Amino acid sequence: MNKQSAIYTIVFTFIVSFAFVSILAFANQATAERVEQNQRIARQRAFLNAIGIPWETEDEILDLFGQVEELEIEDTLVYRTEHDGHTIYAKEFSGQGLWGTIRGVLALREDLETTAGIEIIDHEETPGLGGRITEQEFKEQFRGRRFPGGEVRAVQEAAEEGEIAAITGATGTTNAMERILSAELDRFRELLEGSEV
Amino acid sequence: MSDTAAPKTASGVLANNLWHSNPIFMQVLGICSALAVTNLLVNTAIMSVGVIFVMGMTNLTVSLLKHAIPRKVRMIVQTLIIAFYVIIVDIVLRAYLPDIHEALGPYVGLIITNCIIMGRAEAFAQSNGPVLSFWDGVTSGLGYMGVLMTVALIRELFGFGSLFGFTVLPELWEPWIIMVMPPSAFFLLGIIIWIGKALMNREEAPA
Repeated sequence: MNKQSAIYTIVFTFIVSFAFVSILAFANQATAERVEQNQRIARQRAFLNAIGIPWETEDEILDLFGQVEELEIEDTLVYRTEHDGHTIYAKEFSGQGLWGTIRGVLALREDLETTAGIEIIDHEETPGLGGRITEQEFKEQFRGRRFPGGEVRAVQEAAEEGEIAAITGATGTTNAMERILSAELDRFRELLEGSEV
Repeated sequence: MSDTAAPKTASGVLANNLWHSNPIFMQVLGICSALAVTNLLVNTAIMSVGVIFVMGMTNLTVSLLKHAIPRKVRMIVQTLIIAFYVIIVDIVLRAYLPDIHEALGPYVGLIITNCIIMGRAEAFAQSNGPVLSFWDGVTSGLGYMGVLMTVALIRELFGFGSLFGFTVLPELWEPWIIMVMPPSAFFLLGIIIWIGKALMNREEAPA
């Protein structure tokens, strides 16, 4: 058989492609459920972290999140739960960061001005600089802090209400977080005030 | 790239791929990922293991199929084989190590474009037996890993003050921001190539 002929080339390429792609399709199918589960856990973990509910194992995440009430207000999914003597509302947010979209969860107490916490789901900020928004130190600032009028201000050393500490060397990301969270606080408040919940 | 002088024994291949024609600092191939994934040791280690697996399996497969592959579509078939193994790595990471998958982002997919893999498939696996080809792929991957881990060690230590995520430098340590950014890998890689070449020149011309 002439291995350099056009027919052989076409048949060979077809068989090789078919074989490899079939295996890939099978592998993808076999893990699809697990991948979906991972994504579900990642999302639920972000909500629990934002609200401030401690968890230890993956099963616990699914269990604890199952106790959170899901509401749909004007096509937006809002989660409500009681934690630490407060009614807490949580919803996803996203906005333009320095390099790309920052996605996360914002949790708000019943006064609609005090944040219960935030969690970052994903971002494309500079590792070690803007990327530090995912560090506990940054996120913990939102634990039970009041932002009068829904305005977030980043300052060198946060002391008063409405202030958070800026990240050194990451002015772009800090400004973006100020802008995103201020807008999100307003939007979230309007959403909850305008509804009957 | 001519590889006619390459040794055909297992130990010769090992020495060659780890040192004399190290893919990174002698051939300067595959440095895209060397710049992108070397700011944390854990990510670098996982990425390197991925490259070692893909390169070994690609070389093995190419070597097994070498007599059946028509010359005209040789390169396309090699790319297909590389892409196949890379997607396998991607699927495994996504399903079983989602956090690492998240951290490596698009770079796993970019293993496909890593010139070392294509280079070894074309230069070695096309003309050698399956076992030796597999070994060549694995050792080339180890050569890649060695250089990348060195770069990552320096970058993580000075950039974050930690190693494998554990803080080792005291609180007072002020991280070097440049070490976290891709340009630092350029400088470090340049320095590694310089040292490597200098040592090799000394070996070749004994005083």
